Amino acid sequence: MMEEKRHTSLHYEKELQAIKDGIIYLGALTETAIRKAMKSLSDRDTELARRVIRDDDEIDRLDTDLEERCIKILALRQPTAIDLRFITTAIKITGHLERIGDMAVNIAEKVMLLNEEPQLKPYIDLPRMADLVGGMIKDSLDSFVKSDLEQAEKVRRVEQVIDDLNEQIFRELLTFMMEDSKNIHRALLVMQVSKNMERIADHAKGIADMVTYMVTGECVRHQTCSMLE
Amino acid sequence: MESNTIIKLKDVNFYYGQSRALTDISMTFGKNKVTALIGPSGCGKSTLLRLLNRMNDLIDGTRVEGEILFEEKNIYAPDVDPVEIRRKIGMVFQKPNPFPKTIYNNIAYGPKLTGVNAGDLDTLVEQSLKQSVLWDEVKDVLNKSAMNLSGGQQQRLCIARALAMKPDVLLMDEPTSALDPISTAKIEELIEELKKDYTIIIVTHNMQQAARISDETAFFYIGNLIEYNKTEKIFTKPEVKQTEDYITGRFG
Repeated sequence: MMEEKRHTSLHYEKELQAIKDGIIYLGALTETAIRKAMKSLSDRDTELARRVIRDDDEIDRLDTDLEERCIKILALRQPTAIDLRFITTAIKITGHLERIGDMAVNIAEKVMLLNEEPQLKPYIDLPRMADLVGGMIKDSLDSFVKSDLEQAEKVRRVEQVIDDLNEQIFRELLTFMMEDSKNIHRALLVMQVSKNMERIADHAKGIADMVTYMVTGECVRHQTCSMLE
Repeated sequence: MESNTIIKLKDVNFYYGQSRALTDISMTFGKNKVTALIGPSGCGKSTLLRLLNRMNDLIDGTRVEGEILFEEKNIYAPDVDPVEIRRKIGMVFQKPNPFPKTIYNNIAYGPKLTGVNAGDLDTLVEQSLKQSVLWDEVKDVLNKSAMNLSGGQQQRLCIARALAMKPDVLLMDEPTSALDPISTAKIEELIEELKKDYTIIIVTHNMQQAARISDETAFFYIGNLIEYNKTEKIFTKPEVKQTEDYITGRFG
């Protein structure tokens, strides 16, 4: 967007830039929330998990603030073409980021329960999943900032890997549950952590899909990677 | 010419003296469509509009090249009567310009000249005022001066006056730029209604108006047709960067 020529109205230009900056900041907060939630799991740090839950208020506040600013632009500036696509994309992205914040809270809540019992198993795939998901959020937001279709496409591809990892974790935890029914509670909690990660990846893909819409004007939300190729 | 085309321009150039105001314009206007012509001041959109019913003939030193086909006949052919063209292709201007006559005579004036008999005039006046959604407001004051009407009513009267000539096409040159928002909304609503029976070509500086009421939008810049597309496409994902820069306000 910003490689574009400037608007005749500099105030308008600043309003759009402020929304972009706000989304980047919101993205940084959600990335941190996920990282902390996963660290609280691997370090068994209940206090850190509590902090993730507390910090979500700021994510919610920013989400509301950004949405209000986008609505104000729609009402007062009546954006068209790339500006219209930018604003609709921004509204959707803030929604995705806010939900990602909620998923981090869900994970933190599960961690607090898990920390009350001995660790079920060493975590191998979950931290890997967390790294990939963190990368997806970063890439999706970078693709938004740079209007980079290739990067958006990369996010869509990684999402498939996350789905596979979630499946694998599910199967592994199933064996733990079958081995000993005392494992069921903890295994279910870990499964929910994994499921939340998988849903975060869906939201990152949602952001990438919106970037594609913003750049091309084409809606790809309901197309799979193979359909896009 | 395709069956849904009513006007077709072929390589049209237009000159005011030595200065070229329109360059190689080729485009078609669809029947029963509203087409908006947009672009910055001086881009040639109003010049083009006036070319379509030979209003530019009235300006000395102008010259047209190329062909403008209305129902497959070149309206600039030597045997064509410009008055007859203006009857079929009516025009509404920026500022309402009623005649200083009664409301009734504003409508009846043109048809009387073309020989409509007195018996049919009452019906025609009523019909035209109904079409322009003015009838209910003026039916009891038809013999009062049109100059007493509000700006919005005067503009609808001018539309009724144009419709009374039973045109096929209605050209509108910024028809709401002198009107308040309510009168503007009424005219826009009227345009929606009129397109069932007429082809409407409108010049507007109000981009949102073009977006609201037109089916197709043409963007002009320095006498060139830059992009001509479905209105929805122009305002969500225009194909040409120059169009995007203009409609998003990145211009000048």
